[in-house]
Amino acid sequence: MVRSFLIKKEVDIYYNYFFVAMFFIDIYRAFKFAWQSFWRNFWLSIVTITIISLALISVSLLLSFNLITANVLDIVQARTEIYIDLTDQAKTAQIDFLVNELNRVPDIKEVVYVTPDQTLERFKATYQDNELVIQSLESLGTNPFTGSLRIKVQEIDQFPVLLEEISKPEYSEILEIDNAEFYQARDLITSISSYSDKIEGFGFGISIFFILISVIVVFNTIQMGIYSHREEIGIMKLVGASNWFVRAPFLIEGVLYSVVAILIVLILFYPIAALIQPHLDNFLGEYTLDLVQSINQNIWLVLALEIGIAMFITVVSSFLATRRYLKV
Amino acid sequence: MISIKKITKKYGSDYYALKDVSLDIQSGEFVSLVGQSGTGKTTLVKLIIAEEKPTSGRIIIGGWDITKIESYEIPYLRRQIGVVFQDFKLLPKMTVYENVAFALQTCGAKKRKITDTVPQVLKIVGLDNKMDRYPHQLSGGEQQRVVIARSLVHRPKLLIADEPTGNLDSINTKEIIDLLLKINEIGTTVLLVTHNREVVNNLKKRVITIDNGEIVSDQERGRYLL
Repeated sequence: MVRSFLIKKEVDIYYNYFFVAMFFIDIYRAFKFAWQSFWRNFWLSIVTITIISLALISVSLLLSFNLITANVLDIVQARTEIYIDLTDQAKTAQIDFLVNELNRVPDIKEVVYVTPDQTLERFKATYQDNELVIQSLESLGTNPFTGSLRIKVQEIDQFPVLLEEISKPEYSEILEIDNAEFYQARDLITSISSYSDKIEGFGFGISIFFILISVIVVFNTIQMGIYSHREEIGIMKLVGASNWFVRAPFLIEGVLYSVVAILIVLILFYPIAALIQPHLDNFLGEYTLDLVQSINQNIWLVLALEIGIAMFITVVSSFLATRRYLKV
Repeated sequence: MISIKKITKKYGSDYYALKDVSLDIQSGEFVSLVGQSGTGKTTLVKLIIAEEKPTSGRIIIGGWDITKIESYEIPYLRRQIGVVFQDFKLLPKMTVYENVAFALQTCGAKKRKITDTVPQVLKIVGLDNKMDRYPHQLSGGEQQRVVIARSLVHRPKLLIADEPTGNLDSINTKEIIDLLLKINEIGTTVLLVTHNREVVNNLKKRVITIDNGEIVSDQERGRYLL
């Protein structure tokens, strides 16, 4: 009996059936192969995992730094209060009206009327260590302060809106506007933001550097794996192993490196955070942040970021290596 | 049936491994492709198993134009074509049985199919009593028979043997050629690529002669001409 060839249409049907049916058989074998390769090149695997871990740690530090800066900025902003002095002519009804009006402006968080006595107390508290100022104040015999308005804005950037609001002609009679306090607060925020941007840029650069190094290292590890299995791979291709069957073990090997690296980073993170925390408290003082608690609150973001980056590193490099060295 | 139409394979800007080659092979034929080293025989084999693509021309196997083959389709073509090379390409750390089973495992075959098929093909090549041996414990002829057994596990429609006797003495050569004839008798088309004059002249089958990348002769019951 003479056997004729399958035609392409039949091959298509054969292919679809085969792909689904063999997927589960293949995946077990691919995992087994990847596991063996992982242990066979043990030291190379250790180096690869270390590099991926370093990339993940640098990304985690960058993320922690972002959380810390955001926290500091929030605290500074929340504490920024601007006092606007009222003139002598300001009457209680006018003040009440102004307070109500300003409280209605969406960008303003809170407006509180501070009486002259309260202003005096605040002044004394501020300059309690400066005897000369206190003595000068007492020598006046009267309270030189007028009342003032204590204003908090939602966002410090919205200060021009507030300035525009209080600069209306109808308030000119009762308000003495000094922009200096606005600018001081804004400059502080700008300065923190600017430093944080620079550090963030540096951290970002370091992370990209480690990610690129990781891609190269994983690429080389997979390439070595392919090289040490070249005979087997050549035969596989010759006897008709599917492309997936040949490539999958190497892709899975890459994913295996990622998983181990993520676990290591997660295990190391808490001791590292505990080690950094006292230094962070010293440096930031009242602006400090509880790192562990903060990361716990953002755990899904942290996990998603780490898994995303680890998968990016290994899948991209394994894919490139298998594509380059496993041409079918 | 294999239909090769005006195939040209060019390497670099001016080296032609094959030039305007056309030939047809019918199902069930035993064809010897002969020619001196470097004349383009192995290039033609590589084109048939889609390891390389031609510069121009078409190769149609069973109505399937494999010059337009997609990457994912190549494995399914290769399961229909058994290939035997001069260098045996056996895995040294696997036994005879494991080497043959490997071809089925890599294609995702179930255990049952493997345990049924492997002893059958090893029996065809006469190695059913040496299943547990390793390649280094076998003679050259026996190793080549393991390769032939491995190429048979997918019940190929075409068996391509590229210089299968190149590393063998005359006794082993005869055994391998007899085995190829036996496989041809059970319905498999055989394409034997060789430059062994004696083998070709004794076969008394169709002989296609290639010289400098071109077919110079195609005879029904041919002889080695060059």
